[in-house]
Amino acid sequence: MNVDFKHGHVSVDMTDLKEPDLTEGMSDEELFSVINHSDLESEKITAPRYSYWQSVFRVFFRKKINIVMLSLLGLIVLMAYLYPIFVEYDKFGNLLNASAKHLTPKAAIDKFGFSIHWLLGAGAAGQSTFDAIWYGSQISISLALIVALINMTVGVLVGAIWGFSKKVDNVMMIVYNIIANLPYILVISVMVMIFSAGFWTMVFAMTITGWLMIAYFIRTQVVIIRDREYNLASRCLGTSTIRIAMKNILPFMTSIVVTLAATEIPSYISYEVFLAYIGMGLKEMSLGRLIFEAESAMLTPGWGFEFWSPVAVASIITIVLYVVGQNLGDASDPRTHM
Amino acid sequence: MAKYLLKRLFHGILCVIVVVMLIMIMIYSLLDRNLIFASDTVYNHQQNNQKITYKYQKWEDYGYLDYVPYSDYLYDLTVSGEIDEETRQSAVSLGRTADKDSELVKEYIEKFENKYKAQGYTIERLNAVMMGKRKIANGGQQQLFAYKDIPLINRLWRYFAGIFKIDNINEIENDVGDRGISFTLYDPVYGGKKFSPAIIGNGTRHKYLLYCDNTFPFIHQNMLTINLGTSYSVNMGIDVFTTMTRTQGSYVASMITYPTGLEEESADDLHSATYLADSLHSSLIYESRYIDDYTSVDTVKSGLSKMGYSFLIGIIATVLAYLIGVPLGIAMSRKKDKLLDKIGTFYIVFIIAVPSLAYIFLFKAIGGKMGLPTTFDMDTANRLVYVLPIISLALPQVANLMKWLRRYMIDQMNSDYVKFARAGGLSEKEIFSKHILKNASIPIIHGIPASVLGCLTGAIITERVYVVPGAGNLLTEAINKYDNGVIVGVSLFYAILSVVAIILGDVLMSMVDPRISFSSKER
Repeated sequence: MNVDFKHGHVSVDMTDLKEPDLTEGMSDEELFSVINHSDLESEKITAPRYSYWQSVFRVFFRKKINIVMLSLLGLIVLMAYLYPIFVEYDKFGNLLNASAKHLTPKAAIDKFGFSIHWLLGAGAAGQSTFDAIWYGSQISISLALIVALINMTVGVLVGAIWGFSKKVDNVMMIVYNIIANLPYILVISVMVMIFSAGFWTMVFAMTITGWLMIAYFIRTQVVIIRDREYNLASRCLGTSTIRIAMKNILPFMTSIVVTLAATEIPSYISYEVFLAYIGMGLKEMSLGRLIFEAESAMLTPGWGFEFWSPVAVASIITIVLYVVGQNLGDASDPRTHM
Repeated sequence: MAKYLLKRLFHGILCVIVVVMLIMIMIYSLLDRNLIFASDTVYNHQQNNQKITYKYQKWEDYGYLDYVPYSDYLYDLTVSGEIDEETRQSAVSLGRTADKDSELVKEYIEKFENKYKAQGYTIERLNAVMMGKRKIANGGQQQLFAYKDIPLINRLWRYFAGIFKIDNINEIENDVGDRGISFTLYDPVYGGKKFSPAIIGNGTRHKYLLYCDNTFPFIHQNMLTINLGTSYSVNMGIDVFTTMTRTQGSYVASMITYPTGLEEESADDLHSATYLADSLHSSLIYESRYIDDYTSVDTVKSGLSKMGYSFLIGIIATVLAYLIGVPLGIAMSRKKDKLLDKIGTFYIVFIIAVPSLAYIFLFKAIGGKMGLPTTFDMDTANRLVYVLPIISLALPQVANLMKWLRRYMIDQMNSDYVKFARAGGLSEKEIFSKHILKNASIPIIHGIPASVLGCLTGAIITERVYVVPGAGNLLTEAINKYDNGVIVGVSLFYAILSVVAIILGDVLMSMVDPRISFSSKER
């Protein structure tokens, strides 16, 4: 029996049916017609068209929460990267104006008139908290993205080789055991002290050992699937190692890598906040630095906005990135494409 | 098994040594030495040659190099009896420049140079800085000294050789009378009437080598001391391990009997007496209290040590986390995709995604609104000060446990043996408690030693936010103050803990699960 999905009807080979003729009096269109059997056609497997990335996005957008989260993420990124281009921000513009410091949104709007700058009040130097947050977000997001890009690229490549080769594994396990025991804070602070606490130093400090943890994670995943039966079968059939890596293992790793990226990017933002808080962060006004400098304002009545706004924005950015990433990771697992 | 564990331990120790080496390279070689003077007001007020020698002195204190001034060399010669005091006094007065030295000075300078050049030192002579014909500028006196960078291998050797120190009766070089160890059943600290065995040494660094008292673990020893590195700027001259384990807080005075028989209300802890050269006759107070030079005593304080506070808070939080997290994780996996699972997942996402700083501040703000104390106070009797730090530490751990236990349980739920058990007619309750939980909890059990030992290191943010006097901030404080000794010591402590925790985790896992064995030949 041939099932032809394209035309939507079922055709049966009628040649060996020797039943009493029941078709008398019917027109030709109503009757089954004989289709010649073709050996070549019967070898073809007909299945719905499947495109990996199309299915990923189909599954991803099936959840409504993802659309909300993605548009929120788009809004944040647009604000972080476009707002600072169009709006001039001078932290010390109101420094000499004693009555402009530590204002609640209402007081600031009363004082300066309504404008987007004063939506979140004013900070310790009379600066606009709203502007400061978007300048800070730009630095924090850029840092997290660049660090994640470097760490993920190096980590995944090294991890793949590490998982495949037993010789490399022996060497890398020793390296891993040593580096994992170096306090991360110490490495970062030494880098910060050797160079300066600038943006690229921080990128360098966070990537110099950061890739190793990702490589270790990927290595474990590779080891788990490397010796699975289907790879063994593939190898027995004579597939080259590179082809096994590209065709058998890489597709399996895509969802793992995306899920990992989803946890890594927010974690770099959190880590930057943490470093700034213990006094080892950037000298640029990133979100972490904003939180660090406004800490004293936390419990002072009326000053809360300058502290809680950067905390809230940092949390929103990390949550949105995490949720989008996790769901994208789920969607990029081919087993969810059914 | 034992052989395998010994091998693992050996590998661990090797790793730790390399870690210490890397840290030493980082802080002694990569970092600019002049950084330590950035906030040093004394340095900024000094001028000319004095500033230079001050710099070298400080570098020696921080452990960068060996520094020997010419005057110290002469002093050592006098002490060893090679020259007399008179020669020393005339030999020490350098000329303003090298060609103005007297013959005697020239002779000793040559000896000095020969001796230290042979050992690889660099000799530096600074001529006097003049302000006019005769007047020497401020701090401009002529100087002569030798210095040598400590090579990495020497530094490493010195460090590891000094970690364990066993007290012996020849420890003190000065004259202390009869050296020896005596055993007494009636500790003189308690007036000599109460039964309390003690071993007392003379010539040793500690007076009491073994003694009993009424605090845990009741029998204490001073024979073996651990030195992880001497602090310089964090806790002047005190060892890192002592910094972490010494009690803090306000003094607790009680009636004590000093060796002379004097009874006084004091917080001194006589059991901690160590030798301090020539101290007995240095003050009248010492003379009235002590009969020998063992006068340097610690004080009894009401609080716990840095590590004590960190551990107390950490261990309560960990126990709470396991008590809450494990049942919740099980419940989430049993009610997969139901309301409870969704709430739990939301909570887990919140804890993972939100920066830890943010939710700790949130807890602090909420706790403050509820009237809980938000800053830690060692001297208060109010036990509520522990509540917020414990909650802040426990809640993230709960989320972590829930996340992994749920994941492991769900993975197990789909495995064949569970389907078989179900087909065999076992009830869901039985399958969950007897089969799935047992298998799923193995990786969780593996993590228990790490989370318990991790309590010793303390938590950086929590302790900072609630001002807990714990050990968590020691490393960051040391980095900010460039205290190299503390950085190395604390890092070594962390590294040892993590190595031990992983090995203990493996042992615990193999005890719980008989299928896991480390002694089989395949390994």
